[in-house]
Amino acid sequence: MAAAKPAVHEGGPTPNVFTRRDHHGDSVLDADVAIVGSGAGGATMAAELAEAGFDVIVLEEGGYYQTRDFTADSSAMARQLYRDGGATAAIGNPPILYQEGSAVGGSTVINGGMSWRTPDKILARWDRELGLTGIARELEPYFERVERRIHVAKMDPDVIGIDNQLLKQGADAKGWKVIDNLRNQVHCVGSNRCAFGCPTGAKQSALVSYIPRALHYGARIYADVRVDQITRHGKRATGVIGTVKGTRHRITVRAKLVVAACGAIHTPSLLVRSGFRSPSGQLGHNLSMHPNVKVVAIFDQPVTGWKGTHQAFQVREFQDEGLLFAAVNLPPAVLAMSFEQRGAALGELMSHYDRMVTAGMLCEDTTTGRVRTIDGVPQAFYQLADADAANLKRGVMLLSELLFAAGARRIMLPFQGAEDLLSPDDARRLLARDLPTKGWEVVTVHMMGTARMGPDRAAAVTSPFGVVHDADGLMVADASLFPTPIGVNPMETIMALATRGAGYVIDNAARFLA
Amino acid sequence: MAAAYRHSATARAVLRSLVPVICPPEAIELGDAIIDHMELSLAASPPALHRGFALGMVVYDLGALARHARRARSLRGDRAERYYERWVHARTPLNRQLARGINQLMSMACYEQPAMMERVGYRPAPWIAEVTQRRLTVFHDDVRRQAEQILAPDPLRPGVRVKRERA
Repeated sequence: MAAAKPAVHEGGPTPNVFTRRDHHGDSVLDADVAIVGSGAGGATMAAELAEAGFDVIVLEEGGYYQTRDFTADSSAMARQLYRDGGATAAIGNPPILYQEGSAVGGSTVINGGMSWRTPDKILARWDRELGLTGIARELEPYFERVERRIHVAKMDPDVIGIDNQLLKQGADAKGWKVIDNLRNQVHCVGSNRCAFGCPTGAKQSALVSYIPRALHYGARIYADVRVDQITRHGKRATGVIGTVKGTRHRITVRAKLVVAACGAIHTPSLLVRSGFRSPSGQLGHNLSMHPNVKVVAIFDQPVTGWKGTHQAFQVREFQDEGLLFAAVNLPPAVLAMSFEQRGAALGELMSHYDRMVTAGMLCEDTTTGRVRTIDGVPQAFYQLADADAANLKRGVMLLSELLFAAGARRIMLPFQGAEDLLSPDDARRLLARDLPTKGWEVVTVHMMGTARMGPDRAAAVTSPFGVVHDADGLMVADASLFPTPIGVNPMETIMALATRGAGYVIDNAARFLA
Repeated sequence: MAAAYRHSATARAVLRSLVPVICPPEAIELGDAIIDHMELSLAASPPALHRGFALGMVVYDLGALARHARRARSLRGDRAERYYERWVHARTPLNRQLARGINQLMSMACYEQPAMMERVGYRPAPWIAEVTQRRLTVFHDDVRRQAEQILAPDPLRPGVRVKRERA
């Protein structure tokens, strides 16, 4: 065995964080644990294991940015913080645009910070139908621990923007259930830049919570490294090999335990291209996406939606039907690209920007897609189910009714070629309209399920703790583990499962380090 | 790091002809900056998209010859408008997708221009500076407490510590 040969300059701006600039050749490193991905799952596991005394290396494909790097330049932030600049899509009819973070901190750097436990009905189903016996009780202390670490709390009332107030007014007028959103923040002051890196440091993303903690307890982070494959000896994972982006330098990490935490699109692909197969046949299958559509409403009054906190409320009236509503401010450039208008018509429409409220919905999907690995690259395939399309269409109707109840004058739809709505009656007539899904604008940031957990190796890719069935020294710690969609924002569930997985490793340290 | 992408001369010429078709009149003078911004966005996207876009620009450019006896890059006014509209409503999905993609990318680049953001009243930078300062001033103690909590010992399994020496 070759001696460890770290070909990096020690002592960059942040101790133990190494970026592309620190490499001057190929490296061979040793660690107890190599974690691929530094988002909700990877960072959590890194911090817990490092504090327990494990020697941990985290490899992250994206760059290392800090709070001071997050500016008001939305497109520059998108290019830096999103995988492929945000231009990623699942193939289907309609295609579903999805976004993933690609930076130290992963998607927690660009998400809205909504922090919800897995709903009881979902955990009950996992317990009852999927063999995850007692999971609700088991996860309870891990949820508590995560909430403490990332400071899950309601918003300070004085930073709630007009767009969110209008959403609540509309829900109240309809008599619908609307709740304060719980988010991982310490005195969010409403810069409304969650999706482009929180410039105030209020959002407790992994970048400012679990990552500093992991570093404090000795973990090392290698940013700008794309892991090409997990090395193995038979069915035992022995480490990873990656490439420093923008260079030809190779980095090899030899480790006793490898944790794949690169999200539900890339984790199955990494396992497949490393030669791991699941006897369940489920690796890469079971992809859920929480498909999401939005409407844009124009009000008479100024809204100035970019002043105020992101998603202060969630409308939960239709949660049992798999729908959540929230208001989300989008910068003018992102909004403009979603409109069909062009030329003078686009200019006229955008002149109302300050009076616009953008509201969207999350749909708990009933179908699944899959991730295939083509030439070593993952590609998602997902066909929106008729039932989910009908649910989204109904959701657009309900959300439009809510916005009219709040005083909206005009509502623009996410359906290509569809006329704008001018009244609640127009909204109610939506259900009768023929709106071919191929012209729908559907997006998501919640990809789940492609390495589902469960006790039965014939039905699941990993054990209930994330240990890959039929492999040694290999775990998964991200939303790939979810056996079903969860119907709420997934970050806290990912963190709780990762914490539980870390506990399992600590409890069985002798086995993992053998 | 994103793969290198630069607009070809054809792509740049075609996009220049499309600025008046897609962008509001008040943005036309920003054409070069808009096209440069599109280049940056494309550079961050997957290489397959670079190739597809470059090819699409060539096909769009040459496709005008049959109907207008000149390349798309040379069309102006109503003719440029009508030619683009034909692509928006084309029978071929790829043509429609390209037209839609150009519209999306150019509209985004247009409203990333400082003058256009100012025009719609979007001024986030001073707002961010103001609220960041407010947070650090008003909530200083809570911010500090959270920073301390992040690093404070709180082992997942109290009393269990794996003693490992780094190799």
